[in-house]
Amino acid sequence: MKNIVLSAVFLFMSAIVTAQGAFDKFENNESVASVIVSKKMFEMMSKVKADAKDKEAQQFMNVIKKLDNLKVFMTSNAKTANDMKATVSSYLKSNPLEELMRMNDSGRQVKIYVKSGANENIIKELLMYIEDPTSKDKQAIVMSLTGTFYLDEISSITEKLNLPGGNELKKAAKK
Amino acid sequence: MKYLIFLFTFVLLSCSNEPTLQKYFVENSESADFFSLDIAPSILKTDSLTLTNEEKAALDAFKKMNILAFKKDAINDDKYQSEITKVNTILKNEKYESLIKFGTNANGAAIYVTGETDKIDEFIILAKQTESGFAIIRVLGDTMDVNHVMTLFQLIQKSNIDMEQLKPLQQFMK
Repeated sequence: MKNIVLSAVFLFMSAIVTAQGAFDKFENNESVASVIVSKKMFEMMSKVKADAKDKEAQQFMNVIKKLDNLKVFMTSNAKTANDMKATVSSYLKSNPLEELMRMNDSGRQVKIYVKSGANENIIKELLMYIEDPTSKDKQAIVMSLTGTFYLDEISSITEKLNLPGGNELKKAAKK
Repeated sequence: MKYLIFLFTFVLLSCSNEPTLQKYFVENSESADFFSLDIAPSILKTDSLTLTNEEKAALDAFKKMNILAFKKDAINDDKYQSEITKVNTILKNEKYESLIKFGTNANGAAIYVTGETDKIDEFIILAKQTESGFAIIRVLGDTMDVNHVMTLFQLIQKSNIDMEQLKPLQQFMK
């Protein structure tokens, strides 16, 4: 038990120092729409009293507690999309994440990378890159999520929050 | 009189030069480009309701709401840019913790808080739209927590809202 607690603390600490700042430059880009949720928000949301009878809400609250930061950047501009792609690959060079999944569906490319924690099932960081030159308003999407969570927990969250790539995450979780 | 001046300088000196939202509100609430409105908890007419203890606590924690809005027109684009930059600079101070941000650089909204997770002093909502301007809403309270806020929202839905307090807002929107 003590070990679990210790490793949880350790994971928590290391999640804080995980670099997520690489994509912050897109926040002020004219052609980028973004969603940024801070640790404080997750912390506060987890304090909301959920209806004890509502199993789904309870589960949602449980996952919320495990999240640190969520950042989503979307662009409709081809040039910015290229920049995002370059940023993702340079980020992966300096922060080695494992490729979890790669999908290509008639031009739409989805890549999911993860950084595992104490064991393979625990994820500390999830990075998703979606590229779709055929889409008008979503040429490229970068989503970065940090915390200490299981993959299957996240697919339920992305679905609920209506985040991009929810289907792909679901598939990845089933593997 | 002398005493007053002395007091005034003393107050000025003791204030740090750091810009805060409070100062920004005070400086601009009288300005022609801005619109400001203060809302008291009495906007919620709860007399006819029997409040639960939770609701009472939530109302108790809520002190007031201040709104400051900048209305953009055809000629004040420069001013809009400089004012929104000022606001963003103020909110960069670590005192203001960002909760959530969404939208693009031009149009979007963000929520900030000050205080600790269980003892929130202030919620700040910033909404901007390049075409129409921006608005800052401050919800001030005394050791608020998330559940207070949730309860308050529920209360707003079921209580009558005192429209008199919102009249200036309606006029501004016209």
